Amino acid sequence: MAADGALEIFPQVQALVLDKLQVVSYKWLSRNFSVSSNYAKRLIQEFAERHCSELEVIYTLSGWLKSEPQTYCVKLASTHKLEEAKQVFKDNCSVQVYSVQACVPNDLAVIWNAEFVQAEELFNQPLTEGNCLRDNRFCGVSNSFVKRIVDGKHVGAAAPWPMNGKGVAIESKGISTVKGQPVQHPQQGSGAKNGMQSSIAVSSDNIEKVALDAASKVTKPPLIKESVSGGNAGKNKGQNVKSSSGTASSLASLWGNASAKSKPVTPAAETAIDTSIAAATAEAQICAREALDAANSEDEDHHNNHKRERNGVSGRKRRVFLDFSDDDDEEENVTSLSSPDVFKGKHAAESLPKTESLLERSKLSTAEPKGDRLSDGLDGTEGKNSSLPSDADERSASITMGGISLKKKTKSYNQGDTDKNNKDVTTTSTSTSPKRRKVLKTRIDNRGREVTEVIWEGETADSNMSEKNISVNDAANRPPVANKAQAAGIAASTNPGKGGNKKPGKGGPKDAKQGNILSFFKRV
Amino acid sequence: MLELRLLQGGLLKKVLEAMRELVTDANFDCSRSGCSLQAMDSSHVALVALLLRSDGFDHFRCDRNRSMGMNLNHVAKLLRCAGNDDIITLKADDDGDTVTFMFESPKQDKIADFEMKLMDIQSEHLGIPEAEYQAIVKMPSQEFARICRDLSTIGDSVVISVTKEGVKFSTKGDIGSANIVCRQNTTVDKPEESTIIEMKDPVSLTFALRYLISFTKATPLSNTVTVSMSSDLPMVVEYKIADMGYIRYYLAPKIDEDEDQA
Repeated sequence: MAADGALEIFPQVQALVLDKLQVVSYKWLSRNFSVSSNYAKRLIQEFAERHCSELEVIYTLSGWLKSEPQTYCVKLASTHKLEEAKQVFKDNCSVQVYSVQACVPNDLAVIWNAEFVQAEELFNQPLTEGNCLRDNRFCGVSNSFVKRIVDGKHVGAAAPWPMNGKGVAIESKGISTVKGQPVQHPQQGSGAKNGMQSSIAVSSDNIEKVALDAASKVTKPPLIKESVSGGNAGKNKGQNVKSSSGTASSLASLWGNASAKSKPVTPAAETAIDTSIAAATAEAQICAREALDAANSEDEDHHNNHKRERNGVSGRKRRVFLDFSDDDDEEENVTSLSSPDVFKGKHAAESLPKTESLLERSKLSTAEPKGDRLSDGLDGTEGKNSSLPSDADERSASITMGGISLKKKTKSYNQGDTDKNNKDVTTTSTSTSPKRRKVLKTRIDNRGREVTEVIWEGETADSNMSEKNISVNDAANRPPVANKAQAAGIAASTNPGKGGNKKPGKGGPKDAKQGNILSFFKRV
Repeated sequence: MLELRLLQGGLLKKVLEAMRELVTDANFDCSRSGCSLQAMDSSHVALVALLLRSDGFDHFRCDRNRSMGMNLNHVAKLLRCAGNDDIITLKADDDGDTVTFMFESPKQDKIADFEMKLMDIQSEHLGIPEAEYQAIVKMPSQEFARICRDLSTIGDSVVISVTKEGVKFSTKGDIGSANIVCRQNTTVDKPEESTIIEMKDPVSLTFALRYLISFTKATPLSNTVTVSMSSDLPMVVEYKIADMGYIRYYLAPKIDEDEDQA
């Protein structure tokens, strides 16, 4: 997938990095070449691999720290410090290329300077002009509750997350989610009922300030607006979100709600979450949100399949919980939904300076990394979670799992997720902890049948886990259970011969390979 | 010129519903003797064969053999515009690339026609040899559908074993296992409710349930279903279409790992 666009982009990137000595980060790449952030990450990854000898690479590491209490952390690390940086992470951490440059600059601010200038330019464009930051079109995460208005017109049918929340807040009025933010932060911060949300709030507050300064106070009115509407926002968060979502999102809100509720009882709960459930809920919801919106996203079906197949495993159990979870908890739902908005906004556009400082400090405050991490995680996950087209309930349940698994990088579901990350971003192969990737292999077996297998490469040694993996594998590789016609259709069309895929050597007694009808009947 | 007129239009609707989950695009082959269709699912694990004999139609005219490629989902969509009692007429010119569906209400007070573009579909036609099966089970189609549906909540493949005791469907999954045994039962009042097992040798084969569930979309077409199995052949699940023909599904079994390695 990266191939076609890469042909045009790579020479340009190469010229920038090697000749003009510019720092090229995936964000810059995304905005400059108008590609989605995920795609940009993939591109930059590929670019880094091709030119690893002649340039320096800064990686983003994200994962749970070994420290107690558990914190999620995002770090930047240069190539030679990569291994060292990984040591502080527990289990798996995701490793993605953040930027490529000719050399690691002495002044770390240089790393984000290019993209900051770029963002500033975009923000300084006239209000009437839509651009990729205003409508957030390249963000891997989007929020259907947010309606973007540029000059009175809605921007982007998909109404994505305010990746550039602050940019929007400053320059374009009428974005209700943004209005709510200022009040929400303090609330969440003080509430501190779960580490994650509070930390988000903190970080977002800081960043908000930076952002406001940075954007050179383009307009006063929106700021005023912010504070004015902020008054209501605290009380009416629910309404706030509701109204902004309009009619279209009522279902979506139910799903978000459902996933939040059901999470504790889903199989994913096996993961023995040591972090607070509330935190998990928030994350799960983000994932759910994102996944819902991802239906609009152009991510490949490939991911969808994997996701769906995983759903097939245990979706049935979960559905039960979803049914009764729809009614209450509006408030909670809203809270967790809105908080991602907040940090998301800062993070995308302005959190960079923070992140960099982490590099230097190497000791991480819980607050900042969380924000970063979430968005990173979401970016990374987008592909997988994009599966949710229409059958809502089952899907949303699995999203929940996605959310949880993001936190606990040890579970098998999660491994599917991380694996997908890995596909996109292969630096993970260097990661310290066991990591696996799902690989599709097609071969002709000794009976002349075409066999397509989905294999987990790089198995974990962990025994109870591997058992888990078997079952997940079996079920996941098998075609999704057939009562989901749609699922079957999609799976069938993209996974020819998938009936026969299963991991060799791990089969239980009931496991068998799917025969092919062509081995019985001859073509005429 | 091709002209097929079918009084029970609802039948055609059921036929399409029975196939469209398994197969998206397929060629309808029309000849003087009738209309047939053969198509594999995209993973080449299952095959559906449909036969509608010409004498089952109210009016059947086929001047020369034609193979008409259609997207079954599109056809199903069109047919949903027809009432269950409507009379459906299919028309196609010999050299045209469209087919016309005409729906007449039973009272003849409403006539609708839909024209649909045909597609060029490269299909692999398979020769299916006549075979003697080791075991043939005839049972109520509803019962079969129920069993498949129930078992699919437990596992994703089913072992179907036919012995002289009866036919046993078993599955295993994460949450447990299930066995359903149907005994031969010919004493019921209505013949369509009987379960009849004709067995030469005991057979036990494993199949993916998702395909069986796709097959059971044909349940409305017939009260009974015939399942034929041999250890070295795909299973056949046949639903008779009254007075007209049949829809048959062939499903390749899953092969046991040990056997495969050997």
